[in-house]
Amino acid sequence: MRRLVSGVVLVFVISAVAFSLLYVSGGDIARRILGVNATQATVAQKTHELGLDRSLFSQYTDWLGSALSGDFGRSWFSGQLVSESLGQRLPVTLSIVVGATLLAAIVSVVIGVLAAVRGGWVDRVVQVISVLGFAVPGFLVALALVLFFAIDLGWFRATGYIAFADSASGWLQSVTLPVLALSLAVIASVAAQIRGAVIDALARDYVRTLRSRGLPTGRIVVRHVLRNAGGPALAVLAVQFVGLLGGAVIVEQVFALPGIGQLAVSATSQGDIPVVMGLVIVTAVIVVVTNLVIDLAQAYLNPKVRLS
Amino acid sequence: MFRYKATAALAVTALLTLSACGGGSSSDSSSADGGSLTLTAVAAPTSMDVSKAEWGNRSPFYQASYDTLLYMSADGEVEPWLATDYSYNDDNTELTLTLRDDVTFTDGSTLTAKLVKENLERFQSGTSPDASYLAGITGISTPDDTTVVLKMAEPNPALVDYLTRDPGLIEAASMFKADDADTNPVGSGPYVLDTKASVTGTTYVYTANPDYWNADAVTYDDLTINVITDATAALNTVRSGEANGVKLVNNDSLDEVQSAGWTVNANELDVAGLLLLDRAGSQNKALGDVKVRQAINYAIDRAGLLTALQDGNGTVTEQMFPASSAAYDESLDSYYSYDPEKAKELLAEAGYADGVTIEMPSASALGATTYTLIKQELADVGITVKYTEVPVENFIADLLAPKYVASYMPLEQNPDWQLIQFMISPTAVFNPYHYSDDTVNKLLKEIQYGDTATQEAKAAELNKYLVEQAWFAPFYRVQGSFATDANTTVTMSTTNAYPSLFDFQPAS
Repeated sequence: MRRLVSGVVLVFVISAVAFSLLYVSGGDIARRILGVNATQATVAQKTHELGLDRSLFSQYTDWLGSALSGDFGRSWFSGQLVSESLGQRLPVTLSIVVGATLLAAIVSVVIGVLAAVRGGWVDRVVQVISVLGFAVPGFLVALALVLFFAIDLGWFRATGYIAFADSASGWLQSVTLPVLALSLAVIASVAAQIRGAVIDALARDYVRTLRSRGLPTGRIVVRHVLRNAGGPALAVLAVQFVGLLGGAVIVEQVFALPGIGQLAVSATSQGDIPVVMGLVIVTAVIVVVTNLVIDLAQAYLNPKVRLS
Repeated sequence: MFRYKATAALAVTALLTLSACGGGSSSDSSSADGGSLTLTAVAAPTSMDVSKAEWGNRSPFYQASYDTLLYMSADGEVEPWLATDYSYNDDNTELTLTLRDDVTFTDGSTLTAKLVKENLERFQSGTSPDASYLAGITGISTPDDTTVVLKMAEPNPALVDYLTRDPGLIEAASMFKADDADTNPVGSGPYVLDTKASVTGTTYVYTANPDYWNADAVTYDDLTINVITDATAALNTVRSGEANGVKLVNNDSLDEVQSAGWTVNANELDVAGLLLLDRAGSQNKALGDVKVRQAINYAIDRAGLLTALQDGNGTVTEQMFPASSAAYDESLDSYYSYDPEKAKELLAEAGYADGVTIEMPSASALGATTYTLIKQELADVGITVKYTEVPVENFIADLLAPKYVASYMPLEQNPDWQLIQFMISPTAVFNPYHYSDDTVNKLLKEIQYGDTATQEAKAAELNKYLVEQAWFAPFYRVQGSFATDANTTVTMSTTNAYPSLFDFQPAS
């Protein structure tokens, strides 16, 4: 409960900071929206229409008042309702970010545990892959994936998004490559984390005790070691999930996906404050909720955490 | 974002060179034999409400849903459209339009003179960037249901051109007060937007309007326009055959586009160069001296810049008027040759043998190399450029404030009077110091009040004068590139960045 309250306060503070930052860096927003052709008179008219000639405080309280009643306003650029725009685009971004996180979680547990338990060459290969996964930028991976799988082989779509509701196979074709591109760096870091945690846990006394009781290694790892090693790995995964929301910006550009990352890029460069604020709130809420869920999961895995 | 784009473009070029794979067969491209047409655009439309509309790269979205009063053909001729006829009175201050009587909107309402009047008035007082195009109209009358008369205090030679673009768009009256007017167009145009299948800002899905008055002009039953602003994504769309026509973001990968079996269609609409804005020398005394401005023109190696910056895709020019204009004079394109010695001489004659310093804005996002090369070439003749880096989103506002005496800038080359209102007249957007001189003012009056022959002759005179007086230091006209697949052909417009939707045809 206390966490929930602090989460709400956090979202509130973030909104105020973001709003003022937007104005500090703002420049002439009406000019940005109208472009090179407009005369100064038209720009002045637009400035007035958007209420940009009022004080920052009254603009923020207006925005906050509507936002609290669930009205995030309309895009200054396209006139679309911000809530509608986010509703259209969030599923796209969540498709690839959640997909990438799940994929990363499964793959990194498998290879992390494998590396820790087997050791030797398996371990070294996993470590080299980890370093590579860290070092290679996500967009390069995306480009290489598109060239090979979408253009040369034609297995997947190079651009665009197909909603799951329209076609399940089309959806899979449109999100697979972005998910792969996004998940690589996450797999690299989480696998390394799991490997370390498992090696740590395997060296503990209780493992030796379990082994001496004749339990097979597989069972020890799955039942006991993973549970202990899971905490740190989960924390890393949560951080990565939040990071992926940022990574989606680049991947959505390369794959021309209509997600919130793409929206963030265009809205920010256009000075489309209602849209940017909507994005800030949604992202902040996702981050707060993710952390809450991770805390609960930690508590489930490790009773010691519950006391704190 | 921009640096990332540049890096990505570089990376993809490198990758493509390495993996010299043909990739010529675009097997899954949608067939274009009267069926569907998929296009990409480099800019999303703003509001669908025509009183906030734009044109240029945003034109296809508006052209799909709406009709314009007049139509601009690919070669720049004004043709009848919703108006079957237009004529001026003797002193060119009244334009009479005769409307079609068989036009219906998708909500069932019909085209009337009253509706046209309301649309024009809304545009005039709205916040379209082009609202000022109709500023000179002092009154609109509707003598009968199919006649509209526009009255002006003084002639506006560009008015009929404007009516072929965003100011001439007509929406149904039901949109005037509709809550969803920004995203749900109700027009009489060739296509109807499927708002459920579209994602505002990214994907626009249209179906042919079954009741279209000019059905013969519509070739395709379905139209999809995807907004792709990223050069890499645009190239991937071409290489994977996921569209029939792709507006290319830049000219960096024309070879790859062609090796994928696509055709590159080109036009030239933007002139890139230096705007020497402070011609009166109010902030920078040197720029007020015509010899200094001429020296700048002599110092520029235009052919070198075109090769270095555009890979040769474009045409060197020294005048601001486009090749399609009657005012254009080919010989003016070699009025200043690349002659650093001459530039130094002129500077010395003007009393600046020790050099000149000019402060200009730079926005690396627009291409850092451009600024470096300009600085080098001017430094070679003794002109020091001091750049102030400006965030790209503030660039135009700062330039027009005006905060800078000169700047590098690509500008659109419009039909004559529109171009004059854009960059030459004392009130032009890109004449932020409101500079004028008697010769220019006299020529402007003669163009404004003259008949067509006078307009053309005087515009040519004006063009020559501006080159001689070095109001600008133009470098080259930039090539705009539109790629089409093997199933599709397009006729490029000489006056607009995006081709007319009616100019796409299936390849025979």
